[in-house]
Amino acid sequence: MKLLFIPMLSAPAINILLGLLFVLLLIWFFWPGRGGLALMGSFSTNRKKAMLEDALKYLFDCEYRNQPCDINSLAGNLHISGDKASDTVQSLISMGLATSSNHDLSLTDTGRSYALRVIRVHRIWEKYLAEETGVASTHWHTEADRVEHMMTEDSVEELAARMGHPVFDPHGDPIPTVLGELPDNKGVLLSSLKEGDMGLITHLEDEPRAIYDQLVVFGLYAGMQVYVTDVTPQKITIVAGGDEVILTPFFASQVTVNVFSENEPVREKHNNLALLQVGQSAEVAGISPHLRGQQRRRLMDLGIVPGTEVRAVIRSASGDPVGYRIMGTTIGIRKSQAEHIYIKNIRTYEPEYQA
Amino acid sequence: MESFSDQQSREEIISSANRARWELGVNFHDTVIESIYEDASRIARKTVVVEGGREAYSTDIAIDKIVTSRWLGFPIMFLLLALVFWLTVAGANYPSGLLANLLIDKFLPVLHSLGDWLHMPSWLTGVLFDGAYLALAWVVAVMLPPMAIFFPMFTLLEDLGYLPRVAFNMDSLFRRAGAHGKQALTMSMGFGCNAAGVVAARVIDSPRERLIAIITNNFSLCNGRWPTQILIATIFIGSMVPAAWAGLVSAGAVVTIAVTGIVFSLVVSWGLSKTVLKGEASAFSLELPPYRPPRLMQTLYTSLIDRTIFVLWRAMVFAMPAGVVIWLVANIHVGDQSIAEHFIHWANPFALFFGLNGVILLAYIIAIPANEIVIPTILMLTVLSANIVRAGAGTGVMFELDSLEDTAGILRQGGWTLLTGVNLMLFSLLHNPCSTTIYTIYKETGSMKWTMLATFLPIVMGLIICFFTTQIWHLYHI
Repeated sequence: MKLLFIPMLSAPAINILLGLLFVLLLIWFFWPGRGGLALMGSFSTNRKKAMLEDALKYLFDCEYRNQPCDINSLAGNLHISGDKASDTVQSLISMGLATSSNHDLSLTDTGRSYALRVIRVHRIWEKYLAEETGVASTHWHTEADRVEHMMTEDSVEELAARMGHPVFDPHGDPIPTVLGELPDNKGVLLSSLKEGDMGLITHLEDEPRAIYDQLVVFGLYAGMQVYVTDVTPQKITIVAGGDEVILTPFFASQVTVNVFSENEPVREKHNNLALLQVGQSAEVAGISPHLRGQQRRRLMDLGIVPGTEVRAVIRSASGDPVGYRIMGTTIGIRKSQAEHIYIKNIRTYEPEYQA
Repeated sequence: MESFSDQQSREEIISSANRARWELGVNFHDTVIESIYEDASRIARKTVVVEGGREAYSTDIAIDKIVTSRWLGFPIMFLLLALVFWLTVAGANYPSGLLANLLIDKFLPVLHSLGDWLHMPSWLTGVLFDGAYLALAWVVAVMLPPMAIFFPMFTLLEDLGYLPRVAFNMDSLFRRAGAHGKQALTMSMGFGCNAAGVVAARVIDSPRERLIAIITNNFSLCNGRWPTQILIATIFIGSMVPAAWAGLVSAGAVVTIAVTGIVFSLVVSWGLSKTVLKGEASAFSLELPPYRPPRLMQTLYTSLIDRTIFVLWRAMVFAMPAGVVIWLVANIHVGDQSIAEHFIHWANPFALFFGLNGVILLAYIIAIPANEIVIPTILMLTVLSANIVRAGAGTGVMFELDSLEDTAGILRQGGWTLLTGVNLMLFSLLHNPCSTTIYTIYKETGSMKWTMLATFLPIVMGLIICFFTTQIWHLYHI
């Protein structure tokens, strides 16, 4: 008979292992988003209610975009099985929120106003995240998806009032009014534009996430002017914010634009402030919509508005930030921010200002 | 009926306004604000005439080129800050001794004889004089001189316009930690006093970065903890090496602890900005005001009144009740032992696990008003619990000894080893802020949640670090 080899661990070694285990447990518990604490929070949300509300939102979305929808597309959109989807639809119908004819699902009036209420919460919350918090743009949608099922009507209205009753969410979608009104869908898909067309992006589809994240990486955002330069069956080339972006027709179909009726002036390509070398001056042309809320207001308070002259005067000992002379004061601005400030007319300024 | 139609017309107006806003599109709001700003600045350009000023500005640039230069920027900064700290430490010694002599050695006996004259019972003189008054006097004697030296010098550098340049140079380091360059200033201020450092975080105007600076300020080894570090390092670490090297090695150990604190504050800043504070709004900008000759009188006034007296007052308010508690736990007996001894014996097994002991834990709990009274409390409790005869100033009376050997002797009799010393140094860096700082954090953030985080995060980290230090130590010293 062989003796089993059991490694003899001394007491401190065991303590260290237990200690490590404890620390890991602690980290897991407090991990934001998916740790123990977050899980406890998610148990408290009503899963059934959330599922019904998500289904209503989807049905409304189909209706708004004039697309038919059935149980299969619902299941696909909500990432649930067909059985579960049909259970959900049965509940909706029995509650008088939806009707079904020939597999086509549609909302009743009660269902529509319920859906609009949920959408209102979702979009107001997205607006709040974009304007008043530091949450990254790729997290707005998922955060709002969670919060929309939990907020009370009063707290939503309070939030809306504090933000000046916004009418658009940061993706460019209109926010339904308290009475459930929404403007007609006037936008067309970017994929349907022809060469030479000009328009304003009004909406980036935020589902599925992976596609939306990619569109953000391309630098597209609602409120951006685009100019279509080339269309082939394989790709659509646009100039957006001064940069050339090449999209496949599928990606382009995730972007909604309002086509300009008359010839509105298109912003030419601008340099950004980060390119300004110490000893050069330039004129501010604008601030990119990437800088929102407080950040944007702070920069404007400091005098960074179209027409102001800026001079790069000193560079920090570590290279970043750079000190800029703006309206008689020197202000340090980080590179990551300077990249979103557009400038024009770069020139070298008179040596009398140099030491 | 009329009110109904009023209601209806109101709803109609609101909904037509909404339709109009939808028509105007996403950028409408921004465009309006931008054009208001643009008009305002155009009017200002046309009407405001700037006279002179160019001369002064070009001197500013000349100085800025030196203090922010790649090669000289950091050395100048380190030299200036080191000078400030050295002046504080060196300059505070004598007045501190003087104050201690006056308030404790001279005035305490006077109070006691007053008590005798009034025939006050001994418990009353104990609570009032040995408890409340002694704690108060101690805090004043050790806190006042360094703060009265440090704060004016710091305010002078600030007034001169140099400190914003430090923030400007250090920003890239703090940016990587998700923090603001001005945190370099609040951190330096924290070396003087954490409560003042927390208040100083007001200069950071971005909400998220300000919270980070407030929560991590405790990792700056404050004035009240330096003496503890130096004492313990000298007794336990300096004695490990030949006498000629002792000073250098123990100084090195203390500096290592302070630098560890800076590293912790950066790492924790990074962690906070990535996790719990991820969603807080952030808006960076750093103004570099023009240099100007410091206004001496005003600097003295603001730094003494706004900073020194402000912090000292809060510390005094907390010190008196703590002094009472310290005296009482040592003097109230349950059964045959005092409350302090009960706690120490009960906590010992648990504390030894972390390489500390019951005395240290109790001292950190009851000496929460000020880190300055931790060592006197430890000495008093050690004498009490180890039954050391002919030492100390009486039950429940905090004391310190002039002789290093005697202090070391008491601690060794209390069962202290090199490991205890190292762990106390670590725990002194990583434990909850003093009550003055905790209260200040609450006042500044207005939030119980952030106050709790700032209080318990360092203490949990301290216990974890002490635990691993102890267990790894035991692994190699069986």
